[in-house]
Amino acid sequence: MLLSGLLAGVELGLNRVLAMDSTALPRLARLSGRVIAVDCQAPALSLFILADGQGLRLASQWAGEVDCRLRAPAASLLRLATRKDKSAVLHSPEVDLEGDSAALLELASILQDLELDWEYELSRWLGPVGSQLLGSHLRSRANWANQTLDSLRLNLTDYLSEESRNLVGRREADARFAELDRLKLALERIDARFERIAQRHDKPTA
Amino acid sequence: MNDPRKSSDSEPTTHFGFQDVPESQKAQKVAEVFHSVAAKYDLMNDLLSGGMHRLWKRFTIELSGIRSGNRVLDIAGGTGDLTKQFARLVGPTGEVVLADINESMLKVGRDRLLDRGVAGNVKFVQADAEKLPFPDNHFDCVTIAFGLRNVTHKEDAIRSMLRVLKPGGRLLVLEFSKPSSALLEKVYDRYSFSFMPLMGKLITNDAESYRYLAESIRMHPDQDTLKAMMVEAGFERVSYHNMTGGIVALHRGIKP
Repeated sequence: MLLSGLLAGVELGLNRVLAMDSTALPRLARLSGRVIAVDCQAPALSLFILADGQGLRLASQWAGEVDCRLRAPAASLLRLATRKDKSAVLHSPEVDLEGDSAALLELASILQDLELDWEYELSRWLGPVGSQLLGSHLRSRANWANQTLDSLRLNLTDYLSEESRNLVGRREADARFAELDRLKLALERIDARFERIAQRHDKPTA
Repeated sequence: MNDPRKSSDSEPTTHFGFQDVPESQKAQKVAEVFHSVAAKYDLMNDLLSGGMHRLWKRFTIELSGIRSGNRVLDIAGGTGDLTKQFARLVGPTGEVVLADINESMLKVGRDRLLDRGVAGNVKFVQADAEKLPFPDNHFDCVTIAFGLRNVTHKEDAIRSMLRVLKPGGRLLVLEFSKPSSALLEKVYDRYSFSFMPLMGKLITNDAESYRYLAESIRMHPDQDTLKAMMVEAGFERVSYHNMTGGIVALHRGIKP
């Protein structure tokens, strides 16, 4: 009952957030009738997600049929929720996916593509002038923070790969990987040639 | 031997709260209670249960197993809490019938659902649970939430629900029941017989209806008795789940 109450609260908040994106609800409507089960293995916890044009419904149990079931430890689920490239996580051995995986991937994509219209929500509370002032201030702070982070990342990369030589640079790594690919291909060709020679040698003469 | 449930003129009697009344009068008396409380029914539910009724109904929906395209009957649907959720789940290809014997409750439920844009796949029917006006084997799921205790002949109502269900269909009965601990029962009794009528007096100016509510809960069959009644009617795989220490129980049975 406690978990149900918690899920009801999360569901309410999540649906408010989804309503702030103009495309999320129409996209969720396409998933109407689908039931996605998420079984967290460590800690053991089950969550059922149902989507429709009004948002998401979260349930701690579901007596009906499930279209897609995802089983994974909490760490993998967290990686799946935060990473852009889901396929790498889904293919890892500790993650088990059965049923209609397209429904799960579509849901993940909708949640990842959320573009929330915070300014509209703010304007309901502060009015158009207040929300514009606050919005432009927050945007400039966010831009500054993004630029600073980008610059820090580039400087750190340069330092580690070019100055301290602790890491290999991306281009150098790409060149080595290409060499390795070429070597691998050459080895496979030699292997195939040896096999052909061996087959010819073993063939009994008529 | 004299039957204690027979009045002097031999008309069978039934309980209305703690009173014994002729069977023919119970429906009328229950109707009066609900006419009186209909307008503030939702507010009183929230106040008296501390919002818990929403979680009890949520659990009922989770166990209903309803899918897109299903046909659902919500008996004693009142102000339409369950119907609203069922309408979402069955989608445009399904159908939900909100049935209530009480005209006032049905009207409040219909207006409330229409105001919230719930329409198209919902029908409203004034119907007696004992004589459901639907064909045999018609619904995938039948629910009755906080309504069975007000029905005069509960066995007839359960048989009627069995009749309208499709084979494999589910009956869900959400109803007040017997607390599992003696201490909780004492606290609950004090709460029911003192606080509930007082709130009824303050908010709806009707303490009697809420005294009836407390009394009718005490007269309702406990978990095992209701389970036996469902088995007797012909349901299979009957089980119940206690909620909030047994104050409320959800019974579930499958039509064979």
